[in-house]
Amino acid sequence: MTDEHTPVSGGILVVGGGISGLTAALEAAEVGTDVFLVEKNPYLGGRVAQLNQYFPKLCPPSCGLEINFKRIKNNRRIRVYTMTEVKNVSGSAGNYQVTMETRSRYVNNNCTCCNACVEVCPEERDNDFNFNMDKTKAIYKPHDMSFPMKYVIDMEACTKCGKCVEACKYEAIDLEMEAKSFTLDVASIIWATGWNPYDAEKMDKLKFGQSNAIITNMMMERLSAPNGPTEGKILRPGDNKEPESFAFIQCAGSRDENHLEYCSYICCMASLKQVTYIRERYPEAKISVYYIDLRTPGKYEKFREKLMADENISFIKGKVADIIPEADGGVTVIAENAVTGEKIQEKVDLAILATGMAPAIQAEGSSLGLQMDDSGFLLGDADAGMIAAGCAKKAADVVTSNQSATAAALKAIQVLRR
Amino acid sequence: MTMKVDPDMSFIKYLKSAGGDTLKNCYQCATCSVVCPLSKDGSPFPRKEMILAQWGMKDKLIGDVNTMLCHNCGDCNTYCPRGAKPGEVLGAIRAYAYTHYGFPQGLAKLASDGKNLPILIGIPAAIVLVLWLISGGMHMPEGPVDFGNFFGHWDFHWLTKTTFFIDIIFLPAAAFSLFAAYKGVSAMWNKMSESLEISSDFSPSAKQFTLEFLWPAIKETVQHKRFNECGTNVDRVKGHLPLLLAFIGLLLVTGYSFVRKDFLGLIYPNLHGPIPLYDPFKLLANISAVALLVGVAILWANRKKMEADGKAAPTFYDWFLIWEIAAVGITGLGAELLRWADFGVLAYLAYYLHLVSIFMLFFYMPYTKFAHMVYRTFAMAFEKYRESSFVQKESS
Repeated sequence: MTDEHTPVSGGILVVGGGISGLTAALEAAEVGTDVFLVEKNPYLGGRVAQLNQYFPKLCPPSCGLEINFKRIKNNRRIRVYTMTEVKNVSGSAGNYQVTMETRSRYVNNNCTCCNACVEVCPEERDNDFNFNMDKTKAIYKPHDMSFPMKYVIDMEACTKCGKCVEACKYEAIDLEMEAKSFTLDVASIIWATGWNPYDAEKMDKLKFGQSNAIITNMMMERLSAPNGPTEGKILRPGDNKEPESFAFIQCAGSRDENHLEYCSYICCMASLKQVTYIRERYPEAKISVYYIDLRTPGKYEKFREKLMADENISFIKGKVADIIPEADGGVTVIAENAVTGEKIQEKVDLAILATGMAPAIQAEGSSLGLQMDDSGFLLGDADAGMIAAGCAKKAADVVTSNQSATAAALKAIQVLRR
Repeated sequence: MTMKVDPDMSFIKYLKSAGGDTLKNCYQCATCSVVCPLSKDGSPFPRKEMILAQWGMKDKLIGDVNTMLCHNCGDCNTYCPRGAKPGEVLGAIRAYAYTHYGFPQGLAKLASDGKNLPILIGIPAAIVLVLWLISGGMHMPEGPVDFGNFFGHWDFHWLTKTTFFIDIIFLPAAAFSLFAAYKGVSAMWNKMSESLEISSDFSPSAKQFTLEFLWPAIKETVQHKRFNECGTNVDRVKGHLPLLLAFIGLLLVTGYSFVRKDFLGLIYPNLHGPIPLYDPFKLLANISAVALLVGVAILWANRKKMEADGKAAPTFYDWFLIWEIAAVGITGLGAELLRWADFGVLAYLAYYLHLVSIFMLFFYMPYTKFAHMVYRTFAMAFEKYRESSFVQKESS
């Protein structure tokens, strides 16, 4: 166990290295504050890294993230810990002791990403970065623009055969590397723990997992991304068919007291954005969007209006409440068109569930002593130096997350300088 | 299309008080119409009914066949993302419609409010009591308990005195109740035709109506075809089916008893008195009585559980029928057991209560939840009529 006690003035801990955590950490560090940035995954960038394009300007994630990574590299006040989780928090505002635990990466800083290890590795694992739509070797690069750019071993898949150790010219692999725990003294903590896609299997009538033609919106991002499992071609998982018809199922779990009782905010715009992915690749494809209400706030109205003028896109007011897998690999989605009052059964090649945002901290939140609302979003307590940011606080898009992250940085600094 | 919305506030208030208090939670996502196993593609429900109810459009709803076709399976309640309980709202609309169509109105209103329960019990209790006083039967009959002596005894070998008194109480009551049901159902039929704008130029004959629409609807009801399609509350079939079969069994027994005592009894006086236990009809009667009690117990437990889970609100409309059927079963079987045990006063008292509860069940039938047996059956017949060439020919 190592102690990394900071000077009395302390620093700020940012939990979560997604877009909100990166922003909060950089904002604080760039005005001269010491920042510890911890991230559970082996890479920074969070959910944004998994997207194909993101609002407001439909940039690829490399655009915003690489600038942030460069700012981190150039700033000696930020210390980044990947594969690290908060285990315990004690103390009070201005004087927190936080116990951290870093899992073993089994790959050290000598790694040059030469890929020699992957070429010899005989074992495979499901690639969770791509929502298990493809596989990686047991030693792998998390994704093409991982930061830090280092490989990692999944010990659940690894058999410790040692082939990678032999293949590595840089002595970068240590199969006996151990997990570390350590304590940080900080003045305040920014919780930017983000979100997970809501588990689509919980909506039994939507039959996720029972047909390859039913995917989630986040899977759609990976299918569309050039660094995804299909290199950006939108193909149906399983049989790699080029779909000719698509159905977007909005509010798949959101605005539903049996699942997520709140509106997840991003799904309408995400689906409309994904409609444009399809349009670029399949100009003739038939697309239906089933919705309760379309929520396209502010300037996004223009985006919606443009798509609604497209004759090959149908917008149907009515929630898809039942999906039936068909023998030919497609699915039939069933809804009532609330405008015409007729039930619709539409057969499509691919159905995309617009699953919502579930706060990622929900499970551990109460054991860490955090205050949450009924849905598991963090309430935060700025006076106590516990500040929530981004999607840990409420379902939000990137723009809103960054605004809340900047605000969180300011509040964290205020506690520090009190 | 424009539609003038003229909300009937008292209607909305009634729905909220009668189990539909969740009505305003609905945000029209139409999940209910999709998960409803009875909802048809061309005319899905209950999403549309929910917004009509929110807008207080009473006229549209009481002439809406879907509201009557609903079996309150509860699948809509389970999957509703807002806890708006469409099934309960439709139940409240039906309760409202039975009162609305009820003939005569005074009686219909009386039977729709739990506050009137003492009067509802008092009417048959007084009728039977007064006739008992008139009959001069107010003394303990001698010998073993025989309900044939309840209203006293005549040495008149044709119709026994009790059979005669039972006849003068129940035959007019049954005739009145049937007439009231007929009035109510035909008012509903006309309203439904009106809302579909069906003119009466091509009406089916009585025979066509019975064979093509009513009989298939009755067959479907007895087979519980639609009930069996329910997902969430399919357990209710376990209670409802034995209950329905019990009623059919008891109807046959009553018919048999009527023929035996009122007609054959005129010729063969020895047919009076209790029907012997080995008689197949008596066997059917006892089996039906047990089925009735088992059925109503299951429905009772089911309703309690739904209420405990917050899936239904306790309403007089729902409980009156359960209480009534339970009362008929308990007093009936109780009277029979007490008769066998020869507990004089208790046995006759149970018989009295049995007469009172049967009167209540059937006399108030057209206005209480029991009315669903006629309204829903005719709504199913209407649905078949709506899809038949009588209606379709005109619209083409």
